[in-house]
Amino acid sequence: MDNREPAIIRLEKVNMIYPSGTVALRNCSLEIEKGEFAFIVGSSGSGKSTLIKTLLGEVSTTSGCVEVAGRNLSEMTRKQLPYYRRKLGVVFQEFRLLDELTVFENVALAQRVVGVSRERRRRNSMAVLDLVGLAQKKKAYPRELSGGEQQRAAIARAMVNKPAILLADEPTGNLDPENSWEIMGLLEDVHQLGTTVLVVTHNDDIVNKMQKRVIALHKGQIINDEQQGGYVQ
Amino acid sequence: MSTIWYGLKQGVKSIFQNKIFSLAAIGTITACLFLLGVFYVLFSNFQHMVHNAESTVAIVVFFEESLSQDRIDEIGRQIQACHPVEKVEFVSGGEAWERFKQEMLGSDQELIDTFGSDNPLAASASYEVYLNDVSKQAEMVEYIRGLSGVRKVNGSANTADSFSSFNMLIGYVSISIIALLLLVSIFLISSAVAMGINVRKDEIAIMKLIGATDLFVRLPFLVEGVTMGLIGAGIPLGILRLMYGQVIVFIRAHFANLTEWLTFVEAEKEFQVLVPLCLGVGIGIGLLGSATSVRKHLQV
Repeated sequence: MDNREPAIIRLEKVNMIYPSGTVALRNCSLEIEKGEFAFIVGSSGSGKSTLIKTLLGEVSTTSGCVEVAGRNLSEMTRKQLPYYRRKLGVVFQEFRLLDELTVFENVALAQRVVGVSRERRRRNSMAVLDLVGLAQKKKAYPRELSGGEQQRAAIARAMVNKPAILLADEPTGNLDPENSWEIMGLLEDVHQLGTTVLVVTHNDDIVNKMQKRVIALHKGQIINDEQQGGYVQ
Repeated sequence: MSTIWYGLKQGVKSIFQNKIFSLAAIGTITACLFLLGVFYVLFSNFQHMVHNAESTVAIVVFFEESLSQDRIDEIGRQIQACHPVEKVEFVSGGEAWERFKQEMLGSDQELIDTFGSDNPLAASASYEVYLNDVSKQAEMVEYIRGLSGVRKVNGSANTADSFSSFNMLIGYVSISIIALLLLVSIFLISSAVAMGINVRKDEIAIMKLIGATDLFVRLPFLVEGVTMGLIGAGIPLGILRLMYGQVIVFIRAHFANLTEWLTFVEAEKEFQVLVPLCLGVGIGIGLLGSATSVRKHLQV
């Protein structure tokens, strides 16, 4: 008997064609276990970002089945989508913090969205800012932070609701090597806490050195899926 | 509850954060509602004046000679019982002769003296019938003619028809202008709000991606729209209220010879309609403008 827990992310024969006719995903099937850390690599236009958008429910697949945390995304209604997204944390290449909010307010916003009380919001936000090393800069505005600090704030925002899965789309794309390694260290810490982490990246150095699972896409197809793999062009 | 409080706070806060956009939107609402108010005031006062003029158009009813006073009184009650009748005034033969002397003979005392104590209009007692709605005059004349004891009925069909047509014309023109102004304001507000929302579309997208419901995202924009609508309605209402009395005083002072025709609706009565109308329209266009503009950005 198989005692394995069902995969937290499961794609089965997924095809995604944009209205323009561009094929973004082609017959993709993969399973990611709970608590796994995986890189998604591939050249521009390979379908990496579409895969993340599909998991976020931003785009719908043309055919196939996508299941995340036990939910079939193709069966999900528009009203259910926000509640599903609360199980995910998301980090973007361009950080996407709200400029007019302080670091603390940016992080607390994610808690406010899910209806957490004021006191718990404050406690949880401070705890996660402490985790990413930004507690001292809680009153700073995003424009007053370095790129690395902004990305750490974005990770804090993604983590404050304790999501089961963290999706990071090119999290080091706008950072220098030193900051990139800091961010990857932070994502590794998040992974160590039990969160499933999925990182889309172009950074071959990081992928090669971290020795994690690597899923390689090319023209929308999964061409390689290797545990402790290296960067595949 | 937390979502509502957040929406209220953020909505008011963003008005101050986006000062230029907010001022543009409030300015647009103010200008449109000011024009709307001016047209409404003109419309209602014209109607009021026309209605007053209408009430001077009377049907005159003469009786058969030697008709008993009891029957004349009975005819008066029958006419008064009719729905379009506002009032019925009895003019005796003596009063009719006095009026004739004043209006037709004027200061020609010599001519008046030739009549001595004779009253040539002794048998011309009549009722003057005033209507609420002059368009019903022909109908009423027909009815009164059918009453027994009535010798002659004088209506003024042309005057009544002119008033009715003029009234309808004012109604159509005013409603068309007000409808046009409303459409223009909705379009302008929607564009102004859309510009403001366009600047914040990234913020909306981020909120949606971190799990915010449509209501959570929409509420601050709706609060913002309603608040701007209320401010944009309050300003023209204040200006119109201050101007109304002064304009009336000005008109009365400069057109004193038209005082009989220039009758105005009391300010209190006018604003009983204008306040809810402007506030309602202000809130409505604020809500509609923000709801339509934010909707397309919620598809994340």
